[in-house]
Amino acid sequence: MWNYLVNEVQIWSLIRAARWPLYLTALSMPLAVFFGLFLALMRMSRARLLSWPASAYIEVMRGTPLYVQLFLVYYTLPQIGNLLHTTALTLDPFPAAVICLAGNYAAYEAEIHRAGLMAVDKGQREAALSIGMSEKQAFFIVTLPQAFRIILPPVINDAIAMLKDSCLASAIGVMELLKVAEGIGKNNSEVGLANMYIAAGLLYMVLSLAFYALGKYIESKLKAAGAPELHLETVHGH
Amino acid sequence: MDIKTSPTPAANTTNGNSTPILEARGIKKSFGPKQVLKGVNLAVAKAEVLTILGPNGCGKSTFLRCLNLLEQYQDGQVLLNGSVVSEGRPEEFQPDGAHKEKAQQLRTHVGMVFQRFNLFPHMTVIQNVMAGPRHVLGKPNEECQAIAEKTLKKVGLWEKHPCDPLTLSGGQQQRVAIARALAMNPEVMLFDEATSALDPVLTKEVFKVVRELAAEGMTMILVTHDMDFARDIADRVVFMEGGVVAAQGSAEYIFDEQPIPGIRQFLEKG
Repeated sequence: MWNYLVNEVQIWSLIRAARWPLYLTALSMPLAVFFGLFLALMRMSRARLLSWPASAYIEVMRGTPLYVQLFLVYYTLPQIGNLLHTTALTLDPFPAAVICLAGNYAAYEAEIHRAGLMAVDKGQREAALSIGMSEKQAFFIVTLPQAFRIILPPVINDAIAMLKDSCLASAIGVMELLKVAEGIGKNNSEVGLANMYIAAGLLYMVLSLAFYALGKYIESKLKAAGAPELHLETVHGH
Repeated sequence: MDIKTSPTPAANTTNGNSTPILEARGIKKSFGPKQVLKGVNLAVAKAEVLTILGPNGCGKSTFLRCLNLLEQYQDGQVLLNGSVVSEGRPEEFQPDGAHKEKAQQLRTHVGMVFQRFNLFPHMTVIQNVMAGPRHVLGKPNEECQAIAEKTLKKVGLWEKHPCDPLTLSGGQQQRVAIARALAMNPEVMLFDEATSALDPVLTKEVFKVVRELAAEGMTMILVTHDMDFARDIADRVVFMEGGVVAAQGSAEYIFDEQPIPGIRQFLEKG
């Protein structure tokens, strides 16, 4: 089986397909982190008009399967668009997958941001204010950079989780790693579908380990720079 | 409650007749149902060094934080150089833009040093000191560096300027915090139990810096638990009890005459 795979150059199409989890994650994760910061700030706001919608969004996104969210965005949104006589809600599979991954993970990132911002000592903001900084300066110059150091390791953790979750995009027809592996397996009875799933799984694992190593490296750098610990077990688990 | 004051009037309010630099009038502050400050009146004159003593929970730290609006108080006024810079607001008051700007203005004139130093750990020592001049006063980089060099030399830590603040001893961190406040060229410095987190040796090095500032004529208000230091450095000692200024006067008056029973109890415990 492996001989056939290598000889017939199928392996290269499989390895090439490994770029899709990377693309999906590289696009969706920064969006999730950015949107998550807004959600966290809204949720931490004293104004209920801001905190309630953010809380609702976070709970709905964390409480429903990503799989269902993908189906709703890809299949149901266009139907709503039809009712409204617009095609604006009809999305191609790839952008639909990016929106879902980013939207879903934003809810988790929001909670990480919130924990990170709360982990920065209150005295930091006060010290910033005491030398005459505005609230905005205190946040962007003093609090946020420190929170960033704290959240980076858990965000990288989530990037690894997203890398693996990105295979769900195959369900709405994105030609990503799993879909390509499946295609090779189905079209070549000599290879076998099960083997292709194993091969795809191994590739996901290699990518995850690379992310993990990167995360460990960054974490050690941050620890050396004195970033405080964040106790994430209280935040969430995928 | 009658406030016991020293028989020498000069020690009561200000040195001479000049307008006090910083003045608090009738400051009242509650945390929920608990009233912590019940109308505190206090004025500090230029170059005066004032120490505030009092039992735990008497409101001395809260009062200091009200002075630069880190705590919003409910009634009273704070005046800087004779003009009102902040007023009491109800507890549910949400500060608006103009109000925040005024508080910011006030803080550029009033430096504060905290018990737990609160240096910015993601910046080097010199960046900590430059933060005010650069981000608040908007001064060019070279000027900020010159200011940082001057103030760090004043606290004897210029050689530590490229260091990470968390690698310094507590005493050194506090001296950097003093330099950070001084870099704004404040008119008044507030010290909120600046040595409570330090051992006696480190306390000494911080006190040395404070003494030098006093000798240069810096106006200071210090909340401290160190009686010897309070007595030694103060032009005037203020004793707070139950959310008010219960007695004030020269160090001799407060420590030797002990005009009210609260002081005696406090000194016996300490």
